[in-house]
Amino acid sequence: MEEKLVEFANLLRQNGVRVSLAETLDALGASELTGLNERETFRAALRATMVKRASELPMFEELFDLYFSGLGEIIKQAGRAVQDALAMSDQEFQKFLEQMEELLKKTGKQLSELARQLLRDNSGQVERMIRDAAREMRLSNIERSIEENHFARALARQLGLDQLERELSQLREEIRNSEQDAGTKARMDEYIERRLKALNDIIKRYVRAEREKRDLRTRDSERMQQLAEKSFYYLSEDEIRKMNEAVTRLAQRLKNVISVRRKRMRRGRFDIKKTLRRNLEYGGVPFRLRFDRRKKEKPQVVVLCDVSDSVRNVSRFMLQFVYSLQDLYSRVRSFIFVAEIGEVTEHFRSNDVKEALDVALKGDLINIYAHSNFGYAFRSFLQDHIGAINRKTTVIVLGDARNNYNLPHDWCLREIRRRAKQLIWLNPESRSTWGFGDSEMERYGAACDMVEECRNLNQLYRVVDRLVTR
Amino acid sequence: MFSSIDDVIDRFAKHQYIASRRIATVIYLASELKKPVLVEGPAGVGKTDLGKVLAQALGQDLIRLQCYEGLDEAKALYEWEYAKQLLYTQILKDKISEVLVGAKGLAEAVDRIANEDEVFFSERFILPRPLLKAITSDQPSVLLIDEIDKADAEFEAFLLELLSDFQVTVPELGTLKAKQLPLVILTSNNAREMSDALKRRCLHLYIDFPDKAQELAIVKAKAPEAAANLAAEVVNVVQSLRKIDLKKTPGISETLDWVKALTLLNIKSLDEELVNETLDTIVKYEGDVRKAQEELKDYLRKSRARRGSPAVSDKDLLN
Repeated sequence: MEEKLVEFANLLRQNGVRVSLAETLDALGASELTGLNERETFRAALRATMVKRASELPMFEELFDLYFSGLGEIIKQAGRAVQDALAMSDQEFQKFLEQMEELLKKTGKQLSELARQLLRDNSGQVERMIRDAAREMRLSNIERSIEENHFARALARQLGLDQLERELSQLREEIRNSEQDAGTKARMDEYIERRLKALNDIIKRYVRAEREKRDLRTRDSERMQQLAEKSFYYLSEDEIRKMNEAVTRLAQRLKNVISVRRKRMRRGRFDIKKTLRRNLEYGGVPFRLRFDRRKKEKPQVVVLCDVSDSVRNVSRFMLQFVYSLQDLYSRVRSFIFVAEIGEVTEHFRSNDVKEALDVALKGDLINIYAHSNFGYAFRSFLQDHIGAINRKTTVIVLGDARNNYNLPHDWCLREIRRRAKQLIWLNPESRSTWGFGDSEMERYGAACDMVEECRNLNQLYRVVDRLVTR
Repeated sequence: MFSSIDDVIDRFAKHQYIASRRIATVIYLASELKKPVLVEGPAGVGKTDLGKVLAQALGQDLIRLQCYEGLDEAKALYEWEYAKQLLYTQILKDKISEVLVGAKGLAEAVDRIANEDEVFFSERFILPRPLLKAITSDQPSVLLIDEIDKADAEFEAFLLELLSDFQVTVPELGTLKAKQLPLVILTSNNAREMSDALKRRCLHLYIDFPDKAQELAIVKAKAPEAAANLAAEVVNVVQSLRKIDLKKTPGISETLDWVKALTLLNIKSLDEELVNETLDTIVKYEGDVRKAQEELKDYLRKSRARRGSPAVSDKDLLN
């Protein structure tokens, strides 16, 4: 059992569930208490001891099913199949096995361990032997489905299947020559043959299950990695859903970091007045010190998000990010623009994320089918919304700076920068294309504190990290 | 303590708590392994109740610590009773002067007072808060640390000593070991992620919303006065509401509130008007109410059609 649990813990770890040694020991202790007879209880025990995050539960369930339905279940199924094929009830089958046992004794034949256990239908022992053999020939190295046949043959060899076959055919010979009635003889003959076939089958299915397990180890981590590296431009519906989850998690991380920083600053300076007042009840002896509370500096963010055609795919994500941001900070004002600029703060606040994005991208607020004109957008912002910006504001511009050769009006951006705390530009285009064609990135970039390429989730992670730690 | 998992289920049921096998297993393990349990899950699924019922089922005292931002050791563990100490010094002024009689110089006087200071820093002047109470109690008890996620990260770190060794250190008195190991239940609403160190020391229990049959059983246990078909209808409605995307999904406690409210109004069966009027007992946000109404309109129409009563209202007939 220990081995199985340790192996299972390893499997969990390989799939990103953190299981410590202490937790594995707990799991062992728990499973000793609950016993292994009831699958669901055993599952609950492992769940409670090994998985400590609600988000990891689905992974656990999947792996548990895969791992613990493994070999034992396969062997049991095969055993049942043999019994069914012989069309015997449980009782009959039991009696039949006893008959078999007697016969074996009578013939006085020395059978190998494997043959004995197999014929006795002792699935536990058979399982142990197959497992030992699998460990010997390193079945866990299997990687591809092509290798299945090779590994199955190797396992059969390790198990000594050739010898078993010889043994059993000899046995069948002897049975045929023995003085039993014909019906019993035929049944025994069939039983042995089916047993042998079943063992072959078990080996194949076990190897396949191992390979699937192995697949699972690599599959998910690879998928997440790929997703993180993938550009926003090329995403399917399903991937978009996954990405949404990731952005939400990102926002959560942002939240955590911020609350830690606030806490550290919570205690202010020593406050004499308050201390004296508080300690009057102790006759003026300062037992309890009072500190003034630092004022919490709430981050103020203004986001300008480009939603023009050229960045349509990305803007959904950018807006999603903006939405999370607004959910997170109390003072975020969000604007979208193509040529005209419009504020979406209220829509984002009162709608859930899907509706909010639809509102922003439907074109009710601004004409989103126009050609993008950053210069005009910045100028309108300066005219109409400059009040949104003060010395504490961080301004984030999300856009590709493709200005369609319109007037760039970069002085507007400089003016915005002058009034704000900092100005950050996130550009979904790759850095090498900046400044070519109608891109005004270099001109605009000069006015910004920070310009980052932000096309995929990894880059977004990096930007957020830098944003938070500043 | 419990003799088996089924024993847990039975004894919880006696106190109107329908525990699934999964919950019962964890509780059983916790009582056998002497490990704290960290309970997570959405609001209103009975996390806090689990702790309360556990205490009742074991017939032990419940010691409860409600966490909040800014909770510190003084409020959770112990505090010196300054006022009492001060009062005693005032009353005992004469005695103190006696001690000081004949002292030569300030240094000697301070030494003499120092010899006596154990009197003032003894358990007499300590004000035990929940955690110390749980540790020093002579009877075994259940310690419920509620909404641990609301407390600061520092407090969580401080809990580690308590949870792994069941001991606390008071600088003036030394380390106090638990006389009786308390059973600890921590609940969290996931306002923030707990640290790995804390999680490693606990068994983890995630309670999700119950399925239909389970919820019905809970309603029957907790609100036996409700008519059977009303309970079934309410559970159906709430279950369907949980499927749509609401800001705050109704929990079991909301279901119970609703059933109780409807029973109080002497209502036997749901209809649309009634649902609209009483919906705010289960759905707490304006936007959610609108969504829920949409959802329920369909639902009620369907269920009416199923029951075979005329599906059309007067308005439909006029058209």
